[in-house]
Amino acid sequence: MQEVRTIGYRLSSAHVFSVAFVLACAIAAALIGSFPLQLSVVTVFLFAGPHNVMEFRYFTSRMPVRWGRSRTFYLAAIAGVLPLTAAYLTLYFSSGNWLWSLESLQTFTAVWNTSFILWVGTLFYLRGQQRRKDWSIAIPIVFLLASLAWVVPQYWSLALVYVHPFIAMWFLERQIRRTKPEWLRAYHYCLASIPFFLVILWASLYGKSNLSQETNLFWRINQHAGSEILQNISSHLLVATHVFLESIHYFVWLLLIPLVDKRAIPWKLNDVPLFSNINGIPKIFVAFLTASVLITVVLWFGFAADYTTTRDIYFAFAIGHVLAEFPFLIKML
Amino acid sequence: MKKLTTLIGMTLFTSTYCFADIARPNNLSAQTPKPRAAIETTMDIRLRPDEKEARLIIPKSQIKQLRAQLETLDEGSNNAAVFTSGNGINGLQTIMSGLFLSLAIVLGGVWFMRSAKSPRANKGVIAAILLSFVASATFVFANAGPPAEARSITGKMFSQAMHIYGFGWGKIKVETTDDDDRITLIVPNPKTSPSPGEE
Repeated sequence: MQEVRTIGYRLSSAHVFSVAFVLACAIAAALIGSFPLQLSVVTVFLFAGPHNVMEFRYFTSRMPVRWGRSRTFYLAAIAGVLPLTAAYLTLYFSSGNWLWSLESLQTFTAVWNTSFILWVGTLFYLRGQQRRKDWSIAIPIVFLLASLAWVVPQYWSLALVYVHPFIAMWFLERQIRRTKPEWLRAYHYCLASIPFFLVILWASLYGKSNLSQETNLFWRINQHAGSEILQNISSHLLVATHVFLESIHYFVWLLLIPLVDKRAIPWKLNDVPLFSNINGIPKIFVAFLTASVLITVVLWFGFAADYTTTRDIYFAFAIGHVLAEFPFLIKML
Repeated sequence: MKKLTTLIGMTLFTSTYCFADIARPNNLSAQTPKPRAAIETTMDIRLRPDEKEARLIIPKSQIKQLRAQLETLDEGSNNAAVFTSGNGINGLQTIMSGLFLSLAIVLGGVWFMRSAKSPRANKGVIAAILLSFVASATFVFANAGPPAEARSITGKMFSQAMHIYGFGWGKIKVETTDDDDRITLIVPNPKTSPSPGEE
């Protein structure tokens, strides 16, 4: 008996997702490549605070009420985030202090970087133990990275600035695996398109003259992107690359993660175990959530009043959220 | 244990405020802008085909003038420039990076031997190592400086093609002389032989 099949093309949600992602990246690359300084100011103003709220909301939705077998892991995570944040803020705000010479500041910065790397490696190792897998490869990798942090500290710090945006993309990949597996292949193609856009940006901007540093803000933006470390690369290219990657980072947290994980939608508090579980801490959770929203509003007012100072303060304290991302990401592996 | 952890965390957190709030010493001289030592003079630039190295010849009389100006100023510390030039590493950096690198190689080798049964894992590690080399090479070559003509002081540095870089550097010998009253920059300008296609 013969069977007749109709082969047709159906537009699926994965197709729409990938087209929208690539289109958004193309528009972002074009705009950011043309106006890097202006877009840097605008994106930080609009999205920095809200994306932190979304991150906090997402992490709390992933935090179990009872830690159980993950107790050691979460304790190690908190034992890393709090002191490393405090130490970073100490280094940051005391960098002009007469107590510390430039050499001692560089040494303490290298010590901080090493502590951070060892902490992340410890989390990898603990997660491997939990999953009963041999992740001891993390130990030699950690020591290799620590040696780089000492021998090329400026490049190491700059590498962190550029690697951080990819953390969000990794989060999204793990989340799509869990809640929208039909989008996984499309998302991998979307990720593959990012180097393509970076190469286009670099090819079109490598010959551009350096961006203006006439104001303290512009100097800060250039310096954040590494213009003083990579002096032979156009700062226009560096700032555009950094702002492009950060924009994808904000896009992922604000839009894509809530899209693939309904539990990450901010107002669906019943999906947060810490809020809805009978053993949860609903009042404390709501207080923290309200405080984070209020801080975002204060941040907007701060940006409007004195953008440069607010930006400096924000990026100093933002290290806390960067550190907090690592335990939750490693927990998802 | 919880109390100890909380106490340590509070101590570290409050130390931020303690260290950040220490006032600078009351150094009035640090608040006033320092004038620079400067004298106005003329410099001759001479391109000579028979010279082997670039030389800057400064008359002793002008060095004496400059020294007199410097003695009236505070010792300007350029230590910050020395530390931030970033090209050298100090002893502590060498020791720590060497220690961690040694640990990484030793422990990586141990892991490699233990996981010899898993060729898939080994392929992943080899791929990761190759990727890190490629990434490092990208950084190194992307940050590569201008061509050789802009990295040595010769007559070629004055050519139009070098202007796009806007800067250059090279070794120079600084000499003093009693014979002249003008600063002279001697720049080697070797003649380039025409390529076979040119006549």
